[in-house]
Amino acid sequence: MSAAAPALPVSRPRGLTRGVVRAVALAELRRILRNPVLWAGAALSVWMMWSVVPDPDEWAGASYEEIAVSVTPLLLVISLVTAVSFHRERVEVAPDAPVREGTRAIARLVAALPLVGIAVAYAGLLAWRQRDRGGLWLGVEPGRTTEALFTAGELAQPVALAVLAVAVGAVLGRRLPHLVSVVPLLFVVWFLVSVYWLFGHEVVTPFSVLQVQPVRVHAGPATADPLGFPAHWLLEGPGEFSGQWSRVFVSNALGWWHAVWLLGLSAVVGAFAVPKGRTRRWMLAAGSVVAAVGVVAQYAVLP
Amino acid sequence: MTITPLAQAARPTSRSIRWSPLVGVAAVLVIVLLVARTAQRPSDVVMAIAAAALASVVVASLHDPATDLLAPVPVSVMQRRLLRLALVLVPALLVWVALVVVAPPSLEATSPGPLLAMTAVGVAAGVWSPARRAVLVGASVPVLWFALDMTVPSDVLLGDAAGWWRTDPWPVAAVALGALVAGRRR
Repeated sequence: MSAAAPALPVSRPRGLTRGVVRAVALAELRRILRNPVLWAGAALSVWMMWSVVPDPDEWAGASYEEIAVSVTPLLLVISLVTAVSFHRERVEVAPDAPVREGTRAIARLVAALPLVGIAVAYAGLLAWRQRDRGGLWLGVEPGRTTEALFTAGELAQPVALAVLAVAVGAVLGRRLPHLVSVVPLLFVVWFLVSVYWLFGHEVVTPFSVLQVQPVRVHAGPATADPLGFPAHWLLEGPGEFSGQWSRVFVSNALGWWHAVWLLGLSAVVGAFAVPKGRTRRWMLAAGSVVAAVGVVAQYAVLP
Repeated sequence: MTITPLAQAARPTSRSIRWSPLVGVAAVLVIVLLVARTAQRPSDVVMAIAAAALASVVVASLHDPATDLLAPVPVSVMQRRLLRLALVLVPALLVWVALVVVAPPSLEATSPGPLLAMTAVGVAAGVWSPARRAVLVGASVPVLWFALDMTVPSDVLLGDAAGWWRTDPWPVAAVALGALVAGRRR
């Protein structure tokens, strides 16, 4: 006498799939939120944000730039916890599960959505902190302000970066055989992109990951009279790292289009976390188009 | 004598090590340092990231998928760890030298001291951690220490201590080696 389990139907009712996604997502979400690494990284980012205080001895705009970089530890841990989640796909029992890999991948992505929510909360805290301090300092006389606040486009960047962090963590967690290999790779990716001055040139900045404004645009030679520049320009004078007068350019539109570029990049990167098939092809195609639009629009916005 | 078995194990061990993290990290660092040559800014922080990342890669290489299989062989766990370390540390140091060559001429942080200090600390942390997560903890220590160094203001005691791996790498490495020797039977 033998017993054989009936074969699962190839296509399931939509409601059943939705229920499976919800169940897997809830289980993954519980694991993600219980990971202390996530909260340690978030705490480090908030600590970095709080420790940025404008100083009379700082170079023009230092506090404005440094406060944008404080999101780095949060991005690293978002990638790490997502990688841990997607690495469970590599457990030997996973291929035998009665749920297709594509469905499981979607469930894991849904479970990662609250991580983006944490980034939204972080961006809100960042906006509040800047207002609480009365603004940050940008530029030098005669083009200077002590009340600079991040534009909405700049505040959107941590959120878009969190989406990218989820995508990067998902790919590395799914594709690398050992979780321990993921740690140095994620570290080097996120901390190198935080060396923002390497990617701040007006030609490079549309392709950068962590875009830190202001962008410096040539305004005139070192001998130029700064009073001759338009009165609304923020300026940076010749100094240790520059032999010219530069316009310190902050743009809301640039920030928004950079977020578009990041979302497109996230789709392209995240495509490799899902199994081969229509979903991956769709993500690659749509992500490429969105990323290209984001880059072109950024060049159009830059003066 | 354990030298002969270790020498014989060198080739299969090197095959079992995953080299892609070292290659990937090295490639990203070289590209960034080439970009840094065009920027008129100091790139010492890039080398600090390189030291911590390479240390994390070296410690991560201690992950041995055949640990359970090799448990009964008459070569201790520590000897097998040292073999893996030797096999990965040499290429990691070569990568470091290559990075120093590629880096902008204004670079001051050329000593491999921070890399060796972080590696020693990571290995010591792994040795003293529970076996199940030992390598993961060890490889995470350089990352965590670097993050603390970048985060904590330098005017507080913790901020000062967080920078010791860069400012005083050799005492840090010595303390870590002491911890390693004390845990040689773990």
